[in-house]
Amino acid sequence: MFAAKQRDLTPAQRAHVRRTLWLLIAYAVILPPLVWLRSHRHVTDVLLLAMAIVASLPVLGMFASWGRYLSDERDEYHQAVVLRRIAIATNVTMGAAVVWGFLQAFGLMPLIETYWVAFVWVVTQGAFGCFALFSRSGAGD
Amino acid sequence: MENRLRLLRAERHWSQQDLAGRLEVSRQSVNAIETGKYDPSLPLAFRIAELFELPIEEIFVSPSRRSSKAI
Repeated sequence: MFAAKQRDLTPAQRAHVRRTLWLLIAYAVILPPLVWLRSHRHVTDVLLLAMAIVASLPVLGMFASWGRYLSDERDEYHQAVVLRRIAIATNVTMGAAVVWGFLQAFGLMPLIETYWVAFVWVVTQGAFGCFALFSRSGAGD
Repeated sequence: MENRLRLLRAERHWSQQDLAGRLEVSRQSVNAIETGKYDPSLPLAFRIAELFELPIEEIFVSPSRRSSKAI
């Protein structure tokens, strides 16, 4: 079934999946040594700044990949589906961030790192993507 | 938007994949248009009309005409 799904991908989707996989691998390779360095060695502020930028790069690359995908996609239906998914994920994430922000301000929730906003966006977007994929296959599409 | 795409395709014994290939879109696009889940852009609607050598209004049912008929 997965092979059939692969065949159904447009060239732009295949390129986006390939880029995303490489970026996830880069993230998995880059992050552990940076975390280790931060907790086991004394690091100067300049190096910390460089480490923060390096850790962010794969995630920024994923956002850039979405932009590239939207510009490369020649199939208007797929483009519309992805734009809708991005709009839903953005609304869910921003809504969650605002609610969390107020809960945090009122002392009901702990302070969290702001990069979790990006994580929630990616997960929400991916969850809607999986839901759409499997609901389509359920409907015989 | 309702349309006669499935019927026109069946008359020519084309699969969704055949039609998708001729229109240079994905099979999922053809399926979404046929089932009314997605309304094609004007350029794609024209490509469909040209492929079947029919005016657009003989393939796609205008929502306003459909509702006025219902009244």
